[in-house]
Amino acid sequence: MAARVVTVNRDTKPGIYPVLIGMAITFKNMVKTMFGRAAATIQFPEEKRKTSGRYRGIHILTQRLDGTPKCVACYMCATACPAECIYIEAGERPEATIEKYPTRFEIDLLRCVYCGFCVDACPEEAIFMSRENDLVGTSRAEMIIDRDRLMERAKLVEYGPGYRPTDHDVRRPVRIAALERLKHEHGIVPGPPSR
Amino acid sequence: MPKCTIDGKELDVPAGTTVIQAGLMAGIEIPHFCWHPDLAVDGNCRMCLVEIEKMPKLQIACNTVVTDGMVVRTTSEKAVQAHRTTLEFLLVNHPIDCPVCDQAGECYLQDQYMEHGLHDSKIEPEEKVRKRKVVDLGPIMLDAERCVLCSRCLRFEAEVTRTNSFEFVNRGDHTQISTFENRPITHNYAGNLADVCPVGALLSHDFRFKMRVWFLEATDSVCPGCSTGCNIFIDHRDGEAHRLRPRRNPEVNKSWMCDIGRKEYKEIALDTRVTVARVRGKSGWEATSDPTALDLLAERLQDAGSASAFLATPQATNEDLYAFRALAEKVGGMLDFRVGDPQDKVRVREDNVLLRADRNPNTQGCLDQGLGRTGVKEILAACAAGKVKALVLQGPELLRRPEALEAIARVPFVAVMATHEEPSLERAHLVMAAAMWAEVDGTFTNYQRRVQRIRRAFAAPDRAAPRWQLAAGALKRLGGSFPAATAREVFALLAKSVPDYAGLDFRALGTGGRALPERPDQVATQEARA
Repeated sequence: MAARVVTVNRDTKPGIYPVLIGMAITFKNMVKTMFGRAAATIQFPEEKRKTSGRYRGIHILTQRLDGTPKCVACYMCATACPAECIYIEAGERPEATIEKYPTRFEIDLLRCVYCGFCVDACPEEAIFMSRENDLVGTSRAEMIIDRDRLMERAKLVEYGPGYRPTDHDVRRPVRIAALERLKHEHGIVPGPPSR
Repeated sequence: MPKCTIDGKELDVPAGTTVIQAGLMAGIEIPHFCWHPDLAVDGNCRMCLVEIEKMPKLQIACNTVVTDGMVVRTTSEKAVQAHRTTLEFLLVNHPIDCPVCDQAGECYLQDQYMEHGLHDSKIEPEEKVRKRKVVDLGPIMLDAERCVLCSRCLRFEAEVTRTNSFEFVNRGDHTQISTFENRPITHNYAGNLADVCPVGALLSHDFRFKMRVWFLEATDSVCPGCSTGCNIFIDHRDGEAHRLRPRRNPEVNKSWMCDIGRKEYKEIALDTRVTVARVRGKSGWEATSDPTALDLLAERLQDAGSASAFLATPQATNEDLYAFRALAEKVGGMLDFRVGDPQDKVRVREDNVLLRADRNPNTQGCLDQGLGRTGVKEILAACAAGKVKALVLQGPELLRRPEALEAIARVPFVAVMATHEEPSLERAHLVMAAAMWAEVDGTFTNYQRRVQRIRRAFAAPDRAAPRWQLAAGALKRLGGSFPAATAREVFALLAKSVPDYAGLDFRALGTGGRALPERPDQVATQEARA
């Protein structure tokens, strides 16, 4: 739904006339709401506003088939995070091919600015965002959510996934930019040696 | 003195300098893996190929000695192409482990790839040769897949520790490094293997998965572990030290440090730190503020006068010692610093590499400032005879010694500056919280009489203060003057009062420290005591 651009003439002289115009608009909207069922408000929380598939809500940690986090605790998200709201502690996994996983993974949702950089930074597609946006709590400590809460599936089913990489090429533009810079600044053209 | 030109820069280098060293002198870093400034040249990685005029083929910069009139190009098309090709070969079987690899961020391979490579791999991950991963070698973790076979670890073991633990096994692209039957590394210099490894094949077990290196801030300092005084970096984040790394100083420790020294950082964050001053009241210990504690100390010293004794500690910086000596001289009490044997062994080597028997960083500083005066035996005798009314200890070492306990018990007032809680502090009447070496600015003088800077990496916990501030506070309360508010100013005072330190200041010490002339008389007295 594209936004309509309205030009308003604000040169109207004061008096009873503008008041009447205002009253007319209010009355028109009242009729619309009462009989036309076109209310702008919704009955939250029973009813929820629709959000786009790229909506950046509360984070989700994805999991492997065995239910362990896909995250390898590489700290890329914590590095990219402009709000410094991600806290990770790494531990050892028994599989030599994976080695590392997060024993603690906490996000301070009060600090988070929901920019989605963590999703962009992740090399494992281990973190993405859901469309969950109605966050309530009674203390600041409650708003720091831990690994188990981040891996909870029920919420994801309820709200649906939000901002996430659709395939590997999502990060391609970054790489191309790096190559351009290298060519521009150092004159290095990557690729197989040219004959 | 051959003259050469590297990338258009004209250089005059000492005879025998290799191209890679000459490049570093000119600020040009030629990419390399196997070359290390403190190890023999091996020339196996072929990464440092450079174009030299009048030579038909590219030459390796690490093993080509500069000759007069040599013209070297490190960034010509031919050289850059060679770097990229070499890198591509090195990366053929390299796993895509960077997210889980602790070396990421300080990895030569990663840096070179970003600088020269950025090519797409022609090898599918499934086709790569698999080797052993996560092999626990005691203090070191081995991942043979990440190895670029540069042999730095082999050469370190052969030349520095002479233990020869590592060897190449298998052939071709199945070559990997290994210890015999995966036996753990047992020598005291294992941490250096992780440092010399340009990639993530050898990593420190202690630092494993603790922190990604790009979060860490490095502060130049000196290891407080023994009288060698190895130059180090304190890698810290948010007021917490995460590891110590050797800082190259060819005159002291080259590029190495021992594992005992590497563990020194663990003392800092212990929760047994003394954080506030406390005084023994009628019903046990009472926490007190620094000014109140210093008031009490000054009052007791005033009463005691020359019937007092002062014991400095070689763990303290030169600045601490200076302030402490000034306090002792103001009061006119007995003064010494030697507790137990180790201080007599400043120069005694414990092994043939770096570690020394004297585990104090600043015994030489104590000697230089003339703190060895009365003798500890004499002080203890005076204590036992009831002639000492106030005993001030710069560190708790004396309280730990069983032979001193009886004498100390007869002293009515014992004040001690302590960093950590320990049972022996029960024998004191006033405990003052002292900052540790990573939390203060100052200088240590090592066994060679080299004065070296230590720098404050982060704040001391709570109310803990540098020892010189405590001594200066007491001195001022006794009416003495101490015209210094920072360690830099204390050192300036010290330089005026100790002859050999004349003309030195923090700026003159620089990053590598400043060697003082050897004084034969002082050495002789030490050796006689040893």
